Amino acid sequence: MSRVLIVEDDPDIVDYLSSFLGDEGYEVGSAQRCSTALAMMDSFGPDVVLIDALLPGKSGLEFLVTLRCNPTWSDLPLVVVTGNDQLLEDDCQSYLGAHEGVRGPDGVLGKPVDRATLLAVLRVLLNQAPSD
Amino acid sequence: MLVSKIQMTVPDPEAEQGSLYHRYWEEMPCYLSVHDRDFRIIDGNRRFREDFGERLGQYCYKVYKGREEICPDCPVEATFADGRNHPSEQLLTTGDGRQIPVMVHTTPIFDDAGEVAAVMEMHTDIGEVKRLQSELQRSQERLAQLFEEVPCFITVQGPDRIIEHANRRFRETFGDPVGENCFKMYKHREEQCLVCPMQQTFDTGETREHEEVLFTKDGSKLNALCTTAPLRNAEGEVEAVIEMCFDITQIRELQTQLASIGLLVGSISHGIKGLLTGLDGGIYMVNSGFAKDKPERVEKGWEMVQRNVERIRSMVLDILYYAKDRELAVEDVDLAALVSEFRDGLEKKASDADTAFEMDIDADTGLLPGDPQAIRAMLLNLLENSLDACRMDKDKDDHTIRLGIRRDLKWMVIEVEDNGMGMDQETREKLFSLFFSSKGIKGTGLGLFISNKIVDKHGGSIGVDSAPGRGSRFEIRLPLVASPSIKSEDIIQ
Repeated sequence: MSRVLIVEDDPDIVDYLSSFLGDEGYEVGSAQRCSTALAMMDSFGPDVVLIDALLPGKSGLEFLVTLRCNPTWSDLPLVVVTGNDQLLEDDCQSYLGAHEGVRGPDGVLGKPVDRATLLAVLRVLLNQAPSD
Repeated sequence: MLVSKIQMTVPDPEAEQGSLYHRYWEEMPCYLSVHDRDFRIIDGNRRFREDFGERLGQYCYKVYKGREEICPDCPVEATFADGRNHPSEQLLTTGDGRQIPVMVHTTPIFDDAGEVAAVMEMHTDIGEVKRLQSELQRSQERLAQLFEEVPCFITVQGPDRIIEHANRRFRETFGDPVGENCFKMYKHREEQCLVCPMQQTFDTGETREHEEVLFTKDGSKLNALCTTAPLRNAEGEVEAVIEMCFDITQIRELQTQLASIGLLVGSISHGIKGLLTGLDGGIYMVNSGFAKDKPERVEKGWEMVQRNVERIRSMVLDILYYAKDRELAVEDVDLAALVSEFRDGLEKKASDADTAFEMDIDADTGLLPGDPQAIRAMLLNLLENSLDACRMDKDKDDHTIRLGIRRDLKWMVIEVEDNGMGMDQETREKLFSLFFSSKGIKGTGLGLFISNKIVDKHGGSIGVDSAPGRGSRFEIRLPLVASPSIKSEDIIQ
């Protein structure tokens, strides 16, 4: 069973995505802050991480860079979820531009998250065959 | 005959010279006349005869001015008296009635005894000079009028950064600046600006254009587009710099408003996306909860739907409040009664979010001059923010929001307090800014901006004390006596 870690500060969305991905057969862990998420990387051992672009304290992109710069997780599939695609694009350019060599997110999902797209992205990233 | 013939042909040097001088006399390009002691004209040159006629033997005042008696400032009389030249400006009237302004010089003609026997008067036509003078004066007046009346602020400054001239519009708006420094008059600064376009124009001799925020004499701000240009002397050196500033405040305000509308549209669509996510999630939870027979999930989903519908409601209210020309409808407001209207709804929301809602309203709060609808919107905004801050905080188990209302001398003091997630310094500083939201996709950045405006319009103040992890406390002070700043005009300007 693949493990998905959701890093998202809105408890409603955490509840929703956890229920949905749980229904789809994933094991789901969640964190509302980057610090909690970082602590869960070892204990939970996710196969893929869904990161909200706007998080309190550290931004989602900062968290992405933290993971990418750590050899243990540098190849881990990371998906950024955002409500503002343009903002993310601008941030990506300015933020990732400052961290040369750091790979950007493996996938970007706009809010409201389309469930079919989310499943498709996860399957591709986890090399899974479609369930039907 | 022969002799006389010979005599006729022998050149007489004196006579020849006399005839030469007479020719010069005749052809002089001015009026020449000779006057005796009785002010009669005893000789005149060709030009004199042409313009005044054959008037020998007549009084000069009659001939030149049509007078019946001697002129009060007669230069001929003066020259007879002291034997000197008495230059003066006069206006002559020619035989055909033309008036000619002239410069008059008088010269004494002495007899053998050394007495002034006659006075020669020379009149030079200065009509053209006079015309040019008056034209020059007119164009100078026109320039001065232009300088004074142009609808922009103009100053002329010397190399020492001292204002030498300023036009009327400048004086009216900034005060009389002559002798002052531009940075003091325009910007209320004590020292020269870091980048000084006047200095640049002095140094390079080139025109500079720049935008400035200027301060008028009554302290209000205006945006200005300023152009500096060199004023050169005859040698081509920059002697002074002229600066023209155009008031573009209205253009800038319009731009800001347009930008605000753009931001508003972006912010609203951003907010709607967030709400859709919540609604979509809630509906999924309800549907899948029913399908999998998980009543707990149904309940959670239903709460999500309700919460997001409530958010849509308050977002729409915020937008309407922002977009509409909203006037304060001031009346006596009973705050306790106003709070009791929304108390039940808020308590329900709080308990859904596992948060306690405490009220601490003094019994004798009495009435307050204000707009009940605006105050209600402001209170709900703050309380719902507090509730969100508690819901988002997962570090503590017990959460409480508290609404306190009490009187303090001339003020009604409203406290909205929570022990939610709290705010860092950056969030605190941007808190009341338009379109700033700490709620990510769930906020439009309108709520606190509008709340702040409402408090401001009531002549009150709003303060915040907050720290991450500890919670936040807002203190609103509204005056108990209607403030003169309460205006029936747009809340949002």
